[in-house]
Formats: sequence, structure tokens, C-alpha cells
Amino acid sequence: MKDSLVLDKVEKRYGDFIALEPTDLTIKAGEFITLLGPSGSGKTTILMSIAGFVSPSGGRLLLDGRDVTALSPERRNFGVVFQGYALFPHLSVYDNVAFPLRARGITGDAARPKILAALAMAKLQAFAHRYPRQLSGGQQQRVALARSLVFAPELLLLDEPLSALDKALRKEFQTEFRSIHREVGSTFIYVTHDQEEALTMSDRIVILDHGRILQIAPPAELYEKPATEFVAGFLGKSNFLRGKISATGGGQVEIEVPGFVTSADANGIAAQAGQAAVAALRPEKIRLTPPAVATTAAPCRVGGHVGDITYLGSSIEVEIRLAGGETLLATVPAGQRGFTAGEAIVASWAPDAAILVRGDEASS
Amino acid sequence: MAAPATPSAPSGLSLNRIIAWLAAAFLLLPILVVIPISLTPERYLSLPKTSISFRHYGSLVTDGRWSKSILDSLVVGIGATVLATVLGVAFAVGAWRLGAPLARRLRLLLLAPIIVPPIVHAVAFYRAWAALGLLDTYLGLILIHAMKGLPFVVLTVAGALANVDPRLEQAARSLGATPRQAMGWVVLPQIRAGIVAGAAFAFITSWDETIVALFVTSRAVTTLPRRIWEGLADNIDPAIAALGTVMIVLTFAVVAISTLRSASAKA
Repeated sequence: MKDSLVLDKVEKRYGDFIALEPTDLTIKAGEFITLLGPSGSGKTTILMSIAGFVSPSGGRLLLDGRDVTALSPERRNFGVVFQGYALFPHLSVYDNVAFPLRARGITGDAARPKILAALAMAKLQAFAHRYPRQLSGGQQQRVALARSLVFAPELLLLDEPLSALDKALRKEFQTEFRSIHREVGSTFIYVTHDQEEALTMSDRIVILDHGRILQIAPPAELYEKPATEFVAGFLGKSNFLRGKISATGGGQVEIEVPGFVTSADANGIAAQAGQAAVAALRPEKIRLTPPAVATTAAPCRVGGHVGDITYLGSSIEVEIRLAGGETLLATVPAGQRGFTAGEAIVASWAPDAAILVRGDEASS
Repeated sequence: MAAPATPSAPSGLSLNRIIAWLAAAFLLLPILVVIPISLTPERYLSLPKTSISFRHYGSLVTDGRWSKSILDSLVVGIGATVLATVLGVAFAVGAWRLGAPLARRLRLLLLAPIIVPPIVHAVAFYRAWAALGLLDTYLGLILIHAMKGLPFVVLTVAGALANVDPRLEQAARSLGATPRQAMGWVVLPQIRAGIVAGAAFAFITSWDETIVALFVTSRAVTTLPRRIWEGLADNIDPAIAALGTVMIVLTFAVVAISTLRSASAKA
């Protein structure tokens, strides 16, 4: 895939406040990339810089190698779907969708087929002559989408488009965004704070915190191999095993956690014995067995007692209290066996289940 | 089911109703009294006794002094309204887009023409316009009336803009509209009602303005209020009552039409 858009050390400051530290990001043509982070992480600043509504304090924005940093928003030819949709209340659905064509001097019969195609793609044919205030939230979302795609932009920017919708509709749109993305083939840049949206739709996810990119990776890689403690905690649940590295080698490390020893995937981090380290361990990677049948052969294991038990429908979340007062969270499929609070239990996991991550202090 | 105890339903002559009608009468009767006076056959202000006459209505058209002053008021009023509306909308939209504290403070400054007593304006403009050679000119009075109408335009337009989502303009820009198109196609249509209301206030302000007009005009420009003032000063001409009646009818017609139109727009 060729590069579509390159952010070259783009940064944004408001006085002393740093909204975005100098950031490099290369977005490939046609990909669905999601900027994920909590509020204030700089994701909207990046999006608005790309859209042209925020002018960066430094750095360059390159589109196909052309510097577009100083180009005004209307000349960038990017579609933007705003949070809250920003539909024009005085125009009908049809005229809202016609707007970008009108701005390009395409009106009347020349515009009609394009408008009808965009309305059809967004399943809005029946609503063409309604006004935005007569539409439900989901329908307004569809109008915003049709309006920003009707002029076939190379790039579609979506700023938390689903934040105002209920859970069922959000699910529906996640599927629909993907299929529309496949259909139109434009590059989609999607901003959200919802990890589920990011995981289900994206080709790649960019995780941000405090105006800084922490990791860029496809969803599965991001989940399996989080680079930092923040990423591991923000995307899904994680146990953090803190200790000292006792041995390294073969892409693995051994960490002495107070009370037990665990192996962990080195995760590309050049760690040395004696260093303090954190490993992330996903709750679903922990196996729980009663002490009587537990194999002492498992390399990573720790004994404890069952604490709180949370029933989640398809799975059960079990809290394990360790001897040192620490707790581990394990998720096991429901219906296999019951647990009772207080019973002795052994938690074990595969040697590569825990992943060495950079501590948040260390990465700054 | 027993009806809950409520105050007795308004009867024909409840105290509330009487007070309401008295208040309405207090507001309306002094205005309506010009109608019979305008129909007097006499040449002085009086109620018609034996017969009625429309001669004073005729003199509004035939008497050159009246028709000229109606025309002058229209010229000054329209000129001032256009100027005040253009400047007021430009300022309100600019302040809205900047959203800066400075813009809010400037808006307070713009309200000064409402706060400063007219007589202070009158004296100040008399001196200034004398120096600039603008005394007794259309331009001179239009400038002053535009300034006095400006705060009303700014207030109504700023009020209308408070309900406009600033992202609408960004959306328009992202969809390819130039700043001018975004303004004309998206922002201005949202605030049209506010602009029309502001322009109406500006026109009424000019149409009604007497004190400054008395100071800065004499013969070349004679607006209606000035003409009425002169008419009352030298002889008490019932044409004033005829003029008042015409203005009441016009006002009533405008209010009725706009009420009916907004009622049908809502339906």
C-alpha cells in the first residue's frame, strides 16, 4: 500500500499546555486507522490538524508527498464526520448531502445521481426530503456519513461518531462502517475512546495518552503484545506482575515477583538481569486448578485463595488472593466448574502468556 | 371522580379580567384617540362634532412638507438600517467566531448608544458634525441613526448566534465551502430571524428618533418626528393625528401579517 498521509513531527501547544507532542505517523492509502485514547490524549488534536481546523505549532503534514500543512480545510478535500453530526438544520437530507457538490459547482442533474448513490449507500432513500430534526440519532449519523462521502474524498475523518448512540446502534454501525470502508476504498481515520470500536473496525490502532503515541499496531498485536503498561491496561483487562528480572535469553525473561517466579515474553524489550520489570498477564490466559491436581511441572504458577467471583454470562471472573496480599484476576469459561470463595486454588499460565511491558514512567 | 378544589373558573367579570382590561385600555386608548381627531373637519386639533372629514389625510399627500418629510424619514431610516444591519451582523458574527473575552467586552462597548442619554449624543454630534460639514445632510443623520440602531442588531443577532453550533461552519468548510460560502449558505440562514428583528429595531429607532434630529438637521433634511414637532410648535395641525392613524394602521398590519406567517410556519 502506498502512503497516503504523513505526519512529520506535528505538534500543538496552547501556551504552556502541550496538546500534542511532536508526532510522526504514516497512514497508508485505503486503510482504516483508529486513534484511540482517553480524553485529553491528543487524538482529536491530530484529527483536527489533519482536517485543517487546528494549525500545528510545528511539523508538517504531507499528502502524497505534498505539503498540505498550510492548506485551508475546504481545499484539502477530506470528508469529516463530526461528533454530534453538525448537520445543516435548515436544509433537507437531500440538500445536506448535495452541499459538498454545490460547493464544488456541481448542481442540478449533474449532482443528482451522486446524491442518490450516497443516500442509497447510507440507506436513506426514504428520508431524502425530511429535515435533520425529524430524524433519529442513527439516521442523522447516516446523513453525516452520506454527506461526507458524496464527493468521494480520499480521506474520511470520523470524530467519535458513535458516542451519542446507544449500544445496539453502535454495534450496527461498527459493522456498517467496515463494509462502507470496503465499498468506497477511501482512507478512514477514526477517533474514539471506545476500545471495542477500535478493536472491531480497525486495520491499525494508534494508542495515545497525554499527547503522545504509545503504540501503533493491528488490533490483535496490540492486544497480544502491548508495548506499555498503559496500553495493556487501556485495551482490555490485565494483571500486572511487578518484580526483578532474574534471567534473560531466547526472547524470554524470568521475573522474580514477590512470592513466585514467572517467565514472560521479552516483547522486544532489551532487558537485563537485575532490572525492575512489569509483565502484563491477560486474565483469560490464567488456568485455575485445585491444589490436589495441579501439576507441579507448570513453570508459571502461584497458589492462592478464591476471593470475589463475578458472573459475566459466558465467563466467570475470579479474583485470586495471593499470600502476599496481591490479587490476580482470572477469567474462565462459565459452566465448567464452580468456585467458592475462600477455597485454595492454583493459578498457572504458559511461559509466554505474560508479556514484558515498559512501565509508564520508563517510556516518558 | 371528585374534581380537585380549584379556584373558580374565570367568570365574565372576575377581578383579574377587569384589571387586565383596564391595563389594556390604559395602554391603547391614548393611542386610539388620534383616530377621531384625525377625522375632524376643523383646522385645529379637535374631536369631530357635526361631521367627519378626510381632508387631513389628503393634506399628508398634497402638502409638500408632509410628503417630503415622510420621504426623508424613509431615506434616512432605510440608509441607517442597511448600515446598522451590515455592521451589526459583521460584528456579532466576528465576536461569535472569535469567542474571545475581548469580543465580549467590545459588545458591552457597543451597547453604549443605548445607555448614553440622547441629549448628550445630540450635543456631541452637533459639535462634531459642524466641524465635519455633515450638519443637515442625509449622510450625517444616517450615520447617527445607524450608530443608534447598531446595538439592537448586535443584541438580536448575538442572541440568534448563541443557538448556532459552531461546528456547522467547520462542517461546511470541510465539505468544500469557502469561508464566504460557509457564511452565506450555513451561518446566515440560521440567524435570519435575528437579523430581520435587528433590522426592524434599527429602522424603528431611526423612524422615531427626534432629539438628535432636532439638533443636526434644519431644512434640507426634515424627518417626520422633526416635522411633527414643528407642526405642533407653529400651529396644531390635525394632519398629525391623520399621520398617527396611518402609522397605527401600518403597524397593526405588519404585526398581524408577521403573526399569521409565523403561525402558519409552525403549523
